[in-house]
Amino acid sequence: MEPRDAKIDRLLRRSMAAPVPSLPPDFEQRLMREVRRSSEPLDRYGRILLTGYGLISVVTSAVVMRGQGLDWRAIAVMILGPLALVAIVTRARRVARTTMRHSAR
Amino acid sequence: MESDSQLVARAQRGDQPAFAELVRRYSAPMFRLAVSILGREFIPEAEDVAQEVFLKVHRAIESFRGEAEFSSWIYRITFNQAVNLKARVRFRSPHEDETALDRAVSPEPAPDRQFETAQRDRALAECIRTLPEVYQSALRLYYWMDAGVGEVAALLGVPENTAKSYLHRARQLLHGMLTERGYSCD
Repeated sequence: MEPRDAKIDRLLRRSMAAPVPSLPPDFEQRLMREVRRSSEPLDRYGRILLTGYGLISVVTSAVVMRGQGLDWRAIAVMILGPLALVAIVTRARRVARTTMRHSAR
Repeated sequence: MESDSQLVARAQRGDQPAFAELVRRYSAPMFRLAVSILGREFIPEAEDVAQEVFLKVHRAIESFRGEAEFSSWIYRITFNQAVNLKARVRFRSPHEDETALDRAVSPEPAPDRQFETAQRDRALAECIRTLPEVYQSALRLYYWMDAGVGEVAALLGVPENTAKSYLHRARQLLHGMLTERGYSCD
């Protein structure tokens, strides 16, 4: 180490000396509780709320589109098309993941 | 002892004890990395970063394909999360004044000398805060948390030589900045 480097090295060592913090002892327990809570599927109340929201938005969209003069077939395609796309992509991802896991073993 | 990849594979199948073991292995170094980025004024925020990163990792673990080491992946997420948080908390008043902690551990020299030292330490802390994030983090890990160059390199996801050059460059920059402000490094 150059003399100039050694001087600043000593200064840094002295100036930055302080107690090193650590995580609280119950960190892991709290975290795992949070992990379990976040990985639980929706409870009954959550499912009812989500279904209600979905139904209301579908009906509202259908009424608005109908008010714009679209026929029912076009409305059905526009509502069901994205839903079908989401279902296909989800299934495809699940299949790809399973295949990858099998090939990894 | 199970390897990280074995634990990750089990965690990907929804095995919570495996995930808990990963938490046990990585919570301390992740917290050290977060503290090294946020600085000692924001220790509670560093704890939040560690928790948030583990929750993110738990949600995304199925997408981890093992192309990189699990440790590199988790440290990279921690680094980004802490840097983002730092940008948000920058203007908030700190929980702890950095120099207050210095005073707590410093021996008691004569009052004049003490004042000079405190001023120089404050200037040094200010200079450190102007350095690029990786330099700041490397300095805090090495000088404050007593991490070796190998640990600094692992946490920052760079080769050891790069970590050494971060430290060298940071020292050079600090020396220049302190001299410019009229402080000697002796």
